[in-house]
Amino acid sequence: MRLHVFIVAVFCCGFVDSRKIRGISSSYKRFYKEKKSFLCIDGSKIIPFEQVNDDYCDCEDGSDEPGTSACPRGRFYCTNLGFRPHYIPSSRVNDGICDCCDASDEYNSHARCQNTCWNLGQQERAYVEGQMRTLDEGLQLKQQLIEEGVLLWREKQAQLRDLQQVAEDLQIKLEEHRRRKHEADRLKEQTLKALEAGDSDLKRQNGTVSSTFKLLDSNKDGSITVEEVQARVTLVHDEERILSEDEAVALLGGGHQMDLFKFQHMLWDILTRGDKVKIKDTHSAAGGLVGEDPHLQAADRAAEWEATNLKKVEEAYDTVNTEISDLQKLLTIDYGPDWEFLFLNSQCYKLKVYEYTYTLCPFNQVTQKSSAGTEVSLGKWGMWAGTPKDQYSQMVYENGEPCWQGGSRSTTVTLTCGTETALRSVKEPSKCQYIMDFQTPVACQPVLKQRGIHSEL
Amino acid sequence: MATVLVLWLAVCLSGTLAVDKGNFKTCDQSAFCKRQRALKPGESPYRALLETMELTKTRLTLQLTNDNNKVRLLLELYRLQGNMTRVKINELKPLKPRYEVPDVLIREPPTEPLSLLSQDENGVVLSLGVESQRVIVSARPFRLDIMEGREVLMSLNSRGLLAFEHLRIVYIALNLCQCSLFACQKAKEEEEEKEEEGMWEETFKSHSDGKPNGPSAISLDFSWPGVEHVYGIPEHADTLRLKTTDNGDPYRLYNLDVFQYELYNPMALYGAVPVMLAHSAQRTTGIFWLNAAETWVDISSNTAGKTVFGKMLDYVQGSSEIPQTDVRWISESGIIDVFIMLGPTPKDIFSQYASLTGTQSFPPLAALAYHQCRWNYNDQEDVQTVDAGFDEHDIPYDFIWLDIEHTDGKRYFTWDQHKFATPKDMLQGLMDKKRKMVAIVDPHIKVDNGGDYEGWCWPGSAGYPDFTRADMRDWWASQFAYDQYEGSMENLYTWNDMNEPSVFNGPEVTMHKDAVHGEWEHRDVHNMYGFYVQMATAEGLIQRSGGVERPFVLTRAFFAGSQRYGAVWTGDNAAEWDHLKISIPMCLSLGLVGISFCGADVGGFFKTPSTELLVRWYQTGAYQPFFRAHAHLDTPRREPWLFGPENTALIREAVRQRYTLLPYWYQQFYNTHHTGEPVMRPLWVEYPQDPATFVWFDVHTFQKHNGAQNLYIPVTMSSIPVFQRGGSIIPRKLRVRRSSTCMEHDPYTLHVALNLQRAAVGELYIDDGHTFNYDKKEFIYRRLTFANNILSSVNLAPDAQFSTRSWIERIVILGASKPSKVTLKTPDGQESQVEFDFDASMSVLTLRKPGMNAGLDWTIALQ
Repeated sequence: MRLHVFIVAVFCCGFVDSRKIRGISSSYKRFYKEKKSFLCIDGSKIIPFEQVNDDYCDCEDGSDEPGTSACPRGRFYCTNLGFRPHYIPSSRVNDGICDCCDASDEYNSHARCQNTCWNLGQQERAYVEGQMRTLDEGLQLKQQLIEEGVLLWREKQAQLRDLQQVAEDLQIKLEEHRRRKHEADRLKEQTLKALEAGDSDLKRQNGTVSSTFKLLDSNKDGSITVEEVQARVTLVHDEERILSEDEAVALLGGGHQMDLFKFQHMLWDILTRGDKVKIKDTHSAAGGLVGEDPHLQAADRAAEWEATNLKKVEEAYDTVNTEISDLQKLLTIDYGPDWEFLFLNSQCYKLKVYEYTYTLCPFNQVTQKSSAGTEVSLGKWGMWAGTPKDQYSQMVYENGEPCWQGGSRSTTVTLTCGTETALRSVKEPSKCQYIMDFQTPVACQPVLKQRGIHSEL
Repeated sequence: MATVLVLWLAVCLSGTLAVDKGNFKTCDQSAFCKRQRALKPGESPYRALLETMELTKTRLTLQLTNDNNKVRLLLELYRLQGNMTRVKINELKPLKPRYEVPDVLIREPPTEPLSLLSQDENGVVLSLGVESQRVIVSARPFRLDIMEGREVLMSLNSRGLLAFEHLRIVYIALNLCQCSLFACQKAKEEEEEKEEEGMWEETFKSHSDGKPNGPSAISLDFSWPGVEHVYGIPEHADTLRLKTTDNGDPYRLYNLDVFQYELYNPMALYGAVPVMLAHSAQRTTGIFWLNAAETWVDISSNTAGKTVFGKMLDYVQGSSEIPQTDVRWISESGIIDVFIMLGPTPKDIFSQYASLTGTQSFPPLAALAYHQCRWNYNDQEDVQTVDAGFDEHDIPYDFIWLDIEHTDGKRYFTWDQHKFATPKDMLQGLMDKKRKMVAIVDPHIKVDNGGDYEGWCWPGSAGYPDFTRADMRDWWASQFAYDQYEGSMENLYTWNDMNEPSVFNGPEVTMHKDAVHGEWEHRDVHNMYGFYVQMATAEGLIQRSGGVERPFVLTRAFFAGSQRYGAVWTGDNAAEWDHLKISIPMCLSLGLVGISFCGADVGGFFKTPSTELLVRWYQTGAYQPFFRAHAHLDTPRREPWLFGPENTALIREAVRQRYTLLPYWYQQFYNTHHTGEPVMRPLWVEYPQDPATFVWFDVHTFQKHNGAQNLYIPVTMSSIPVFQRGGSIIPRKLRVRRSSTCMEHDPYTLHVALNLQRAAVGELYIDDGHTFNYDKKEFIYRRLTFANNILSSVNLAPDAQFSTRSWIERIVILGASKPSKVTLKTPDGQESQVEFDFDASMSVLTLRKPGMNAGLDWTIALQ
């Protein structure tokens, strides 16, 4: 049916200039050649041609009323000579509000619309030119930044390699030091053993008993007193507390002093069980023991020296490894195909909005500081979250400071093309959900350049 | 809005979202309620002293005495025009005057003659004038029975629960008594009456209520023989039909800012209308208890708890009592002043109540359209972006709202100088699209330099103006003048929130009862505070336009008579399915007591709705009188286009349906403005008898359903089951535009749904949509009738003058048969043929473009 009518249109009335049909674009004129009847564009119905634009909706698709507000699904074409043509919903025809800059939508209303297309066109052209300039400039800057990015990337890679080399060297050194410390410890142990080897078990025990007794007997009078117990003995579970006199007396078997014999049969047992009381600072006790032998002293010093050296190397090794992992982490972030976003890392950008100062540190975090001075995290680097077409158009920062009603603060950063890199706006449309507009040359895309302005001139 | 303080507490204490019941009193925690509820029926100490009776043409007076304490009361009884009876009871000689509610009645109700029919030592029988209606006054104990023929319509004090706590002097000790001898004597006598805790002082959660006047409660019981269904006494988040209260607290009327209110319980909410309707198939009657103090209402029924089978058994065996509902009203102070509305139909009740307290104000048409609100639209740019979003997604809206954050530090009537630096530019931008704005103005004033009553609210420390004073209300109204309210324009309207009043650090989050308003205590006037705030605000909006423009004021707190000043909403609800459901009975209840302009926050205020819930809420809200989406500050954005194109389309469709029906909504509001009939009605109001003979048409598919059957209507996400009753004619405007004002001159489509007699009637009301000029008879009011295959439009207001550019573009007749010819006749005598289209499968006849002006007489004949 549709084909049939189309043929009729072409052959019968095809090139006769029809009366102007309001609200259609030139590409639709072929559907509105004046004749006896009109076929709704969706093919659903044929109506007399007088019913086109007669302010009553006959076609389901609204095609019979392109120039009136009669059809709920209709649309009206603003020619907008001098500016951009566009469609508006039919409901905006004759509603008293000027929508088309050529005023064509308000042909039967009280609205006094001016034709503003020429001015708008001028503005649009100026705007587009400005955009173009920005884009050109931006793309040049972007090229530089890409080059810098590549260099930076290589630099970081080199840095990583250097660090890894340092780490390897340190690893070797570390093993050497471990070996040396082990050796020193072994030597010290041997010396200690040799020192004790000559004595029988009993004597060694006695020696140990007597040396412990000597240790407790601070004034060397051959007898341990309450004060001496208080000074040297402490509770296993509460080392800070000084024993009371009663407790000390109890340890001394109920008396106020104790000789070596009594010590060996009473307090020594308690001390060796070690579940209630112990001697304070056992190290110095041991030191006291070995302190008597010069060989042992030398071995001990050597072991300590090697331990200190090993610790230093271990620390250095850890530091380098941390640096390596930080750098690796940094390098695993997607900085765009040409590493063009890499330069943003380690930078921060600030913007003051009302009483708040916002700071965006790309690939790191977003913060907000009030004029009162408290700083709040609005999110840590999450991911790129742009469209599938251009995933680098948006960043998300998540898991900021927790929110009052659950959840945590987050920020979505939209990247737009500009000649400078700067934070342009910050909004909080819903509580704890921030959106930022971040301008940078690296967001400039060559495709933008194809978008121009078409006017029906 | 919610209370920050309580919010904070609730989060800290429970972490869950639910009302903290401990913040609000139970009857047991309210000393007077506990005291009164303890009284047992059948022990009334009151006796009518018939020898004191005086009967003038319009008034009966009679003294009552309390045999226990000898205190005398004065009973006044009036027969009022329109089938009402007024009963007033006060102390005969109160120590000082007791509060009588002013400003709620629109005038002193006109009376009708009373006459004495008979009298003996047991009582008096009076004629109420019409239809053999009588009042029987029984002397011992005192009771009143209102009869019609042999039928008792209502009894007062039949259970003997009348109580009247007389004012007394505080008795400390005889030797300290520095009063006159007489008063001392009196005080001593009173001491013999039981002194109970809470009579002279009461403490609730660290708040002390010093009661300088002592106990002053009043109480009275009412019985309705033959009645099983009672309705009204909003505001409660409960079923439409009121429940019996035997096993719990009474329904409470005490305007409160209840944080995260719970459903299905009798707790008080933001507003109070002390009006109850009693309905049976034979008759509808009502009680209006004119008292603004804290009030509790107990309901019991002799059939409650009986199963259907039990009732059936009663019927079959002819046994048992007639069903009866007993109610009992208890108020903390004031007097007993009751209007007994005797119906007999629901519509009679509405007109009776309207004759006392006035009708719903006639809103500007735009206020019936869609409102977009959120706490908060952050700044002017935000407003502009949301406004543009509606155009981009082709969704109409009329009002965008600003909550408290738009102000300069919560100082109302001001603007945040950074975020709303140029409010007039913003308002002009909206005006250019024929749209409007509402800004919040709460009734507390930030304390910058100290004030009278101070409490905490949004601004921190705040003063609460005494709105009960006429001069204060005048001052408040003057603040809305364009030169006072800087940055305001004629498309800026007002929202009164927090006017219970909400006082964050007050007892039950409101004002102390012993705060004073001139010579009265807050106790006496509490439930009227919000009423006065809205009154003063509406007056301000009227005055700023020199009395030309209709105001639009939304209020959260309300009282009897609040309908005269604007709209109410159901307060801070939540994004839950149950809250969507409760919005229906809550608004129905309000409509029954005169407040038709009611809505609930679409989407729910607290919490975040699922997309499905949000869509369903739009679909429901589109068919409720006040249609506004609103959201809490802490919830994510929910403008209609944020949920994917499919859901945007569903919401768009719901909002568009609202707009197509605006002519009908407007006509309904015109109707309620004149009759008091609710716009949103329970079916029993419309069809008190048999609804079985009706047919109903699905408004979307035109599918016809016969009455008297149960139907399961399958739905999808896009369905809104709406039906037009056969016999009705509904005007629509199908050209949905950006805002209702843009649709002003658009043509009408009439939907004529035929009943089984192939007839239908409807109305069409048109005026300028925003001024009071309708009072000057500038409107079009027409009756549309379809009968005998002729559809005609006749003028219902020949003395009114108005012209419209709107015409009739389409007439859709549902349930029609195919005509051979359709002829239009206009008053100039011209006849013309009208094209038509007939859909035989659905029996739908569509007349194409008859084209006559909507304001003229015309007839269309189907042949």
